Amino acid sequence: MGCEPKPQPINYGSDECAYCRMMITDAEFGSQIVNNQGRAYKFDSVECMAAYDLTEDGENFHSKWVPNFLDREEWLNAEEAVYLHSETLRSPMGLFLSAYADRTSAEEMKDEYGGDIVDYEAVKQIVEREWLSNGSGGRQMMNN
Amino acid sequence: MILKTIIAGLFALLAQPGLAQIVVSPDGEIKSIKQAVEMAEPGAHILVEPGTYMESDIGIDKPLTLEGIDYPLIDGNSEGFIFVIAADSVTIKGFNIKRTGRSYVRDYAAIMIEGVKDFIIEDNRLEDVFFGIYLAETEGGVVRNNRVEAFDTREASSGNGIHLWSVKNPKIIDNEVMGMRDGIYLEFVDNAEIYGNTSNENNRYGLHYMFSDGGRYYDNIFRRNGAGVAVMYSDNVDMMNNLFEHNWGTAAYGLLLKDINYSKIEGNRFYRNTVAIYSEGTNEVHIHGNDIELNGWAVNIKSNSARNQFTENNFIENSFDVRTDSPRNNNEFEGNYWSQYEGYDLDRDGIGDVPYRPVSLFSMVITKQPESLILLRSMFIKLLDTAERIAPVLTPKTLYDENPKMDQIVR
Repeated sequence: MGCEPKPQPINYGSDECAYCRMMITDAEFGSQIVNNQGRAYKFDSVECMAAYDLTEDGENFHSKWVPNFLDREEWLNAEEAVYLHSETLRSPMGLFLSAYADRTSAEEMKDEYGGDIVDYEAVKQIVEREWLSNGSGGRQMMNN
Repeated sequence: MILKTIIAGLFALLAQPGLAQIVVSPDGEIKSIKQAVEMAEPGAHILVEPGTYMESDIGIDKPLTLEGIDYPLIDGNSEGFIFVIAADSVTIKGFNIKRTGRSYVRDYAAIMIEGVKDFIIEDNRLEDVFFGIYLAETEGGVVRNNRVEAFDTREASSGNGIHLWSVKNPKIIDNEVMGMRDGIYLEFVDNAEIYGNTSNENNRYGLHYMFSDGGRYYDNIFRRNGAGVAVMYSDNVDMMNNLFEHNWGTAAYGLLLKDINYSKIEGNRFYRNTVAIYSEGTNEVHIHGNDIELNGWAVNIKSNSARNQFTENNFIENSFDVRTDSPRNNNEFEGNYWSQYEGYDLDRDGIGDVPYRPVSLFSMVITKQPESLILLRSMFIKLLDTAERIAPVLTPKTLYDENPKMDQIVR
């Protein structure tokens, strides 16, 4: 044994988001879900990962990973990470979500950019409200 | 020189009361563009003589025309923005601009235009910039004949060449963009008019629509980008007479459609792309009169795409014509030319007497088992495909072209 599923490297500039089909280019937002066989579903943003998490059957999901916005080499367990939801810090699919290792660093970013500090459950609620409860991804934002 | 300037200025004053001309020159009285902007009356014409100007964050808060003579260089020294336009009716013309700031949280651009209308950005050359020309909450305005170039070898650290966010009725014409993340990027843009542009060798897409309805793009060239064009979450976009070529790679497409409705794809040429047209969640799009030649797959259409019509296209020597993920088909293929068609035309009316089924059995197999691609062009596969054509078992029963053209459609 000893083959614990773990995050895979993302090939920025060629891997495709499993939710929105966009090419993944930003290391500070690229996220992934790893299944029990070790296969990684890669996403261009935290919001796309959460949308996939909400719309797909998660029975075979092993773990969910997001990058630390302040250290893009570091993978954080999505369920334990702390998120900033700030309209002055834009993310690839327009839901303004970035992830941090702990509350202290998220607070520091909040002091600079404003917004709210939220957990993964709240991230899913934001995605549910903004995208899923009214049809296709992001349409309601047209009127902003 | 100064005398000439004063005389020119006097003439301008005499000709149009209230207007004025100011000349900026490295060895003249006014050495900085920023200073000229500060002292200018609204409506003034600022002429910038050749030379190098180390300046950034040049804020423009009144209607002005800034014109470079022989492309004076504005070097931002990798700090912040270069021009920030916050007034209506501003023209920026004829500059060479280099070295904006770079940041993960701020979209530093060479020319930032925010919350205004009636601007003209033309004939500028931008190099080594993070974002090139950035339009935010603008209305109207023209971006014409600019060149934006930034080959940044560090992955994922480039911004977009021409970036539009929350914009109404922009015109993006005859620009050349290369080496950026997206060549031209649109998010929440209504009725964009995009034509005559060349967008090559960008890391992600040549042109990228997100949540942007209406308008059209035509007569553009998209070559060797991560993928040619991505049109996503948008309705009523017309795509005409463009060239999509050499977009190769694992996630590379000529044209990627995702959640698109009521649009038109007409008269385009798709040449040597991994997938010429990829379609997911796409409905009521009319794909008519295109040349789709020498691609890996001509069309990859997902089962959540419906009521799309493929008519009078030339499908020429693609490795596979159509790929899909479902035995059901809700799209129409009618009157296309397929170079792989092996039917006959006994009544000589130019239309094949038996329908053509563009989804080959083998393309269904490799969708499930990519490793089997090694068998492509083997006799075994040819036999399988022939058998499947005579008595379809696995390929979609309703996906066929009933009136395939015998000869390539001449345009």
